[in-house]
Amino acid sequence: MTLHYRAALQWQSRAVLGRHLSVYRRNWHTAALPPLLEPIILLLAFGVGLGGFIPEFAWRGQPVSYLAYLAPGMLAYTAFMTAFFQALFAAYIRMHYQKTWEGQLITQVRLEHVVWGEVLWAATLGTIYALIVTLVLVGFSLTGWLHLYWVNAFLALPLLFLAALAFATLGLLFTAIVPSIDHMNIPFFLVIMPLGFASSTYFPMEGDALWVQAWLFLNPLHHLAEGIRLLLLVGEVNHHLAAACGLFLLMILILVPVDERLLRRRVLGEG
Amino acid sequence: MHTYDLNSPDEPVLLATGLSKQFAGRRVVDDVGLRCQAGQVVGLLGANGAGKTTTLRMCYGFLQPDAGTIRVAGIDRRVDPEAAARRVGVCTQDDTFDTDFTVRGNLEQMSRYFRPRPSGVKARVTALLERFGLHRYANAKPDSLSGGYRRRLMIARALIHAPQLLFLDEPTTGLDPQARLEVWELVDTLRREGLGIVLTTHYMDEAERLSDELLVLREGRVVATGQSQAVLGDLVGEHMLVLDAHDSAAATVCAWARQVGLPEPTRVLSTLHLALDGPGLARFSARFGDLRFEVRPPTLDDLFLKLAEKP
Repeated sequence: MTLHYRAALQWQSRAVLGRHLSVYRRNWHTAALPPLLEPIILLLAFGVGLGGFIPEFAWRGQPVSYLAYLAPGMLAYTAFMTAFFQALFAAYIRMHYQKTWEGQLITQVRLEHVVWGEVLWAATLGTIYALIVTLVLVGFSLTGWLHLYWVNAFLALPLLFLAALAFATLGLLFTAIVPSIDHMNIPFFLVIMPLGFASSTYFPMEGDALWVQAWLFLNPLHHLAEGIRLLLLVGEVNHHLAAACGLFLLMILILVPVDERLLRRRVLGEG
Repeated sequence: MHTYDLNSPDEPVLLATGLSKQFAGRRVVDDVGLRCQAGQVVGLLGANGAGKTTTLRMCYGFLQPDAGTIRVAGIDRRVDPEAAARRVGVCTQDDTFDTDFTVRGNLEQMSRYFRPRPSGVKARVTALLERFGLHRYANAKPDSLSGGYRRRLMIARALIHAPQLLFLDEPTTGLDPQARLEVWELVDTLRREGLGIVLTTHYMDEAERLSDELLVLREGRVVATGQSQAVLGDLVGEHMLVLDAHDSAAATVCAWARQVGLPEPTRVLSTLHLALDGPGLARFSARFGDLRFEVRPPTLDDLFLKLAEKP
């Protein structure tokens, strides 16, 4: 069992990660544009624009501007969506169309290293994008549009890396099971989009119903969004951060061996 | 069972014995043995689905055999897969170069997948680009290359870490005759330099031209091994008799073959092919002396047609 996790630290996984970094470095100027512009546009459109029509927005019984509510949610959403998207679409293209994986598997690199290389890369990219969003939030704070404990956003980056790592393992799970690239819309619109929005990212998820309570208790993205929100708006280290951390570790522990097993069947026809 | 002496002092670069592999309950490779010395080319022959690629993939570590032993330069793959993989270069059937890198970038990136890292990578990349005639395209993306140059890149990439053993899975499929000839010359040169090479091919002239030894697979099992003439003698026969399928006596010949216990003649376009040994040819001549027919030595094409027949 530990073999699944030991591979994360082996040189072959770093070689695969290095390959992805090397490709990204050559295209960084175009690749960095979406994560830079997207939060600016969203903060202006929803935070400032839509937020202007919501004068009495409350969070945890306290009045707060919608822009301030939105900012931490966007940070969590960015790490989640970037990692998931990278591990689903980009990894699938490398596996199926570009045959990059096959080219790696004829060397000293084994499938467990390819899996970890993909997961580590998706997490790295998710963290880079989260850092870019953080810088945008710092810019909004320094200009007085937002009032955040913005230094805490940098402290949250390790947790965002862990979150991206966990969501990448979820993305790879779908990469392993979708029959073709056309079928990716199914997990994307039935699982990922609903999860992305119903997790206190863009609006508060509240309610006394048992199913709502269960959903919030077990939902790592909800804990991540709420944990970072408390950290940035109140400056408080809170139980949501610990819950998110635990759930992400659990996801990684469970999904890495599952991904590896399913991909072994898909790529090598074994298992 | 095809077994080799695992304790031989003359350790080959590849020694595989008793290899078996199942997919979804179907046995695609069954008790296959394979041996390749340094400076030798071993050709794997067989019709589609005979188990050539699966055998190759097990030998280079892409697949795990269900049973059997694989030793690369004396290293047991199960004991030290990493060390064994370090000694092996692979040119897959499909192009698996990295389309996100240039031709030069592909060679450099490939070197990063090996430990210990190949020494003097920069100089080695330059030397391989020169040697394979790729230096003019060093900064081009591989998908802009012609089929022949793509194959050269695939082989160059397989050699970046100076392996002792090279696997070539259908290295010339889809190439024009000129490009095929160039690949053949490359393989010849690599053999002369002492590299052990195992290749699969559909082209009989290629197998005959390149291979020092053939291993013929049928439905996952080895049906013959040895030099091409010996394999042909074992599997096809001494002589190949060819006659017009539209000849009025063709049906009588088929009936005669059945009667004397020979396999049914193979129909190839408008001709019938019948494999015979010396006494068989004499009996045929005595029975059908007035018929127009041609006798020639069997070729690997005849073997391939025979292998493609249902057993």
